Amino acid sequence: MSQAASWDALTLENVSLTFNAGKPNEYRALAGTSITIRRGEFYCLLGPSGCGKSTILNLVAGFLRPDSGSIRMGNREIEGANTDRVVVFQDVTNALLPWLRTYENVEFGLSLQGLPRTETTRRAMAYLELVGLKDHARKFPYELSGGMKQRCQLARALVLEPQVLLMDEPFAALDAITKRIMQKELIRIWQQYRMTVIYITHDVGEALLLGQKIAIMRRGPASAVKEEFIIDQPYPRMITDESVAAAYVKAEASLQAEVGVSLNA
Amino acid sequence: MPNQLGHFLYRASIAAISIALLIFAWAMFARFFAYPDLVPSPWDTFDTGAQMLSNGELLAHVGISLERVLIGYATGCISGVLIGALMGRIRIVSQLADPLLQLARPISPVALVPLSIIWFGIGDMSRYFIIFYGVVIIMIINTAAGVASTPNIRLNAARCLGAKRSQIFWRVVIPSAVPYILTGMRVALGFAFMGIVAAEMIAAQSGIGYLIMQSRMLLRTDIMFVGLVTLGIVGAVIDGLFKLAIDRTMKRYMEHQVNV
Repeated sequence: MSQAASWDALTLENVSLTFNAGKPNEYRALAGTSITIRRGEFYCLLGPSGCGKSTILNLVAGFLRPDSGSIRMGNREIEGANTDRVVVFQDVTNALLPWLRTYENVEFGLSLQGLPRTETTRRAMAYLELVGLKDHARKFPYELSGGMKQRCQLARALVLEPQVLLMDEPFAALDAITKRIMQKELIRIWQQYRMTVIYITHDVGEALLLGQKIAIMRRGPASAVKEEFIIDQPYPRMITDESVAAAYVKAEASLQAEVGVSLNA
Repeated sequence: MPNQLGHFLYRASIAAISIALLIFAWAMFARFFAYPDLVPSPWDTFDTGAQMLSNGELLAHVGISLERVLIGYATGCISGVLIGALMGRIRIVSQLADPLLQLARPISPVALVPLSIIWFGIGDMSRYFIIFYGVVIIMIINTAAGVASTPNIRLNAARCLGAKRSQIFWRVVIPSAVPYILTGMRVALGFAFMGIVAAEMIAAQSGIGYLIMQSRMLLRTDIMFVGLVTLGIVGAVIDGLFKLAIDRTMKRYMEHQVNV
């Protein structure tokens, strides 16, 4: 933690990755991708499906290693998974541990460190309160709605006080209203803690409501970041805010050009 | 709650009707189509059963059979889970063990009775072995499948939450396999009951299997029927209790795990 505290940017430099190299199903996912994410930034990765968004997230998380290029936090090369970078998955049902109660899921990461039970529970409860799930602490995941499960997963990540929160389309499976509420909650929590957020989505509107910077990715294979938009607009945002709407038009056009169709013709 | 009670009563009455129909058909068959010596009537069977219950004979046989089942079953479950977990975790163990399992699977425990008598004699050890064999194969296969089926996302989640390899195994992989293990235990219990009868039919002086076999010598089909009915009842009751005990646990996994 102390050594990592000195970083000011998370960088991917010329990162390439090929799956199943040399086999018939070889797939060149990333070819020379470079990204710079400032510390504390809310960074959205936007792109069509199969463009390598999740691959980038898995690389930053340390689940995958690149074939070439480097991924660094400051000067430190990322090697393997670590609690300074915690992932919030879309498939929350499989991501949570179904045999543990909500608060036990949240304290799981702390208990792995061998902290005393009273301490882990105390901290878990504090973060459950932060995400508005304190009254449901003793429920099992199957007793929670989709949105509540996602709150639980968020608390489970935040309790470890990660420097980078990696979110892989976390609200994509939620209904429209719940999704809006969760987005607002996430912004509130991010404004309070100012951790770095890398947020993956295929939804232009969502990216514009959340991100300070939005990167649009080229369609795969051999994907890379195509262009970046900076959204310099205070929160909470509305899609109808003038500058947000203007950015929406540009981002949408860029994305449609990438997919090769025009949806407003 | 009243709805649940109503549902339970409904199910119970349907079950009662189903059993009444069986007894009726049995009675009709015994009365009109069969020699009494070949097919005893339900009433004769009941009389014999009541008599054997009151003099303690039946319970003694049931007790000794259950004891044998329990010992073979418990050792089979524990060994099966350990071996299965190793298989699910270490690829070479799985690759080595899998062909052996495929070969062993079609060999029913009954086929091993003569061999186990030669190996272990006519004592209880040979009966434990037969039950153990039937149970351990199922438990290995189920545990290995459960361990191997831990969702990738869950493994990755544990890794970024700071879990080390051994922590992932004990605190994520093994609990993830619990539905498979419990399902295996329930299936294996059925196999254990089949195994004990086969084991007791040859070279035993007690137990339900012995009771059934012995009544053949005496041409006492009524005792034989008592034995069969007892087997059915004891097996169904134990399976029901087992299901009751695991239902709560299974519910937590149900959403995304195997349905049982």
